[in-house]
Amino acid sequence: MDFSLSEDQIIFKKSAIEFAEKALNKGVKEREKNREFNQEGWEKCAEFGVHGLSMPEKYGGLGMDIMTCVATMEGLGYACRDSGLLFAINSHIWTCESPILKFGSDYQKDKYLPGLCNGSLKGGHAMTEPDSGSDAFSMKCKAEKRGDRYIINGAKMFITNAPIADLLLVFAVTDPTKGFAGISAFIVEKGFPGFSVGKPLDMMGLKSSPIGEVVLQDCEVPEENLLGKEGSGAAIFNSEMEWERSCLFATHVGAMGKDLEECIRYVNDRRQFGNPIGKYQAVSHKIAEMLVRLELSRLVLYKVAWLKSQGKRAPIESAIAKLFVSESYVENCMEALQIHGAYGYSTEMDFEKNLRDSIAGKIYSGTSEIQKNIIATMLGL
Amino acid sequence: MSIINNIEKYVLAEIVGVLGKKTIDPDEDLLEQGIIDSLGLMKLITFMEETFSMKILDEEIIPENFQSLNSMASLVKLQSQA
Repeated sequence: MDFSLSEDQIIFKKSAIEFAEKALNKGVKEREKNREFNQEGWEKCAEFGVHGLSMPEKYGGLGMDIMTCVATMEGLGYACRDSGLLFAINSHIWTCESPILKFGSDYQKDKYLPGLCNGSLKGGHAMTEPDSGSDAFSMKCKAEKRGDRYIINGAKMFITNAPIADLLLVFAVTDPTKGFAGISAFIVEKGFPGFSVGKPLDMMGLKSSPIGEVVLQDCEVPEENLLGKEGSGAAIFNSEMEWERSCLFATHVGAMGKDLEECIRYVNDRRQFGNPIGKYQAVSHKIAEMLVRLELSRLVLYKVAWLKSQGKRAPIESAIAKLFVSESYVENCMEALQIHGAYGYSTEMDFEKNLRDSIAGKIYSGTSEIQKNIIATMLGL
Repeated sequence: MSIINNIEKYVLAEIVGVLGKKTIDPDEDLLEQGIIDSLGLMKLITFMEETFSMKILDEEIIPENFQSLNSMASLVKLQSQA
């Protein structure tokens, strides 16, 4: 096992940091307040190559390996204060673009991947329903084959990018007798008859990332937009989640690194009772614990990336990484806020926003509890 | 031990669990009966890859390849011939 980054990967990570600092942070507070998506930032990220990081060059991507993707996402997470934008981009990449590359037909790849890579198309996936969250495969949304098309009926809830998406991977039941194995995935364009999106939902954090409800009422989807074969929906979903749990959470590792640096600077500058507060163990131990969580988060995440780069399956490892990184990020955000006291609690600084944003990580891509279920099941429990 | 017996033994021991089944008919539809759920399938795939020294692609994780002991054995045989 070698988790060290190559010289090229380090250079790419540094350039992602410089890019994000220069191009993505202007107007973050205003967008947060107005729940506004950063369209300009989206376009700049596409131009930089973020959207097509792992995509082959023939579709306009950069053809990077997973370690480079992780390093880049870590760099973006470190320097970009608009975590809603990073969340939207990661959903676009790992839950739409990447499965189309892996499971799509040549027709589907040629039609959608160039636009997804250059950012002119926005994507996401629609899995969660009002009555099925953690028990994702108990969905009610149904797709029925009629002639040369599928007719989809159902509702999807809390769909990242739904209000801005040009296409979504919609999961629906095609064979109700087969349980999870009767689920299929469809590439649904926003202009298809019967497809509509509700108003953006107001969530606790990630406010610049549009999230909404999707309604499919006799939605007509051409048969050539079935992704993979009928019944491969669960495999597509599980594959997506393994990638998302590796790469999306790299942005959290980057953000934890940035927060830690700011905390160290603050505890050295801030003086109380005659000393910098970092000289008091009550504070310095918090900093030490933050570093431990950061280092271990990076380690588990790099291990998953390394396994994936070897073409190995990583269900336990990606569940461990997702669970540990998301929980650690929340703990570090809490500590960063506490160390900064009233300044940390103030909306003038980013710590309260980071905390609100971090909590989402314990819920999306499978809750912490579901990650523990996966780990326990794989252990035979 | 044949491929089918090997898979049957694993499914009975590690996946069927509390259902109390003693044998599985080679053509029994394990998906339709809910004997294999999505997490059980993940375990089964790991077992098959390790036991039969094979690599199951995500694209191959479809009902036709996993609905019965016979279909799983066919997948193993197909790969060993390739």
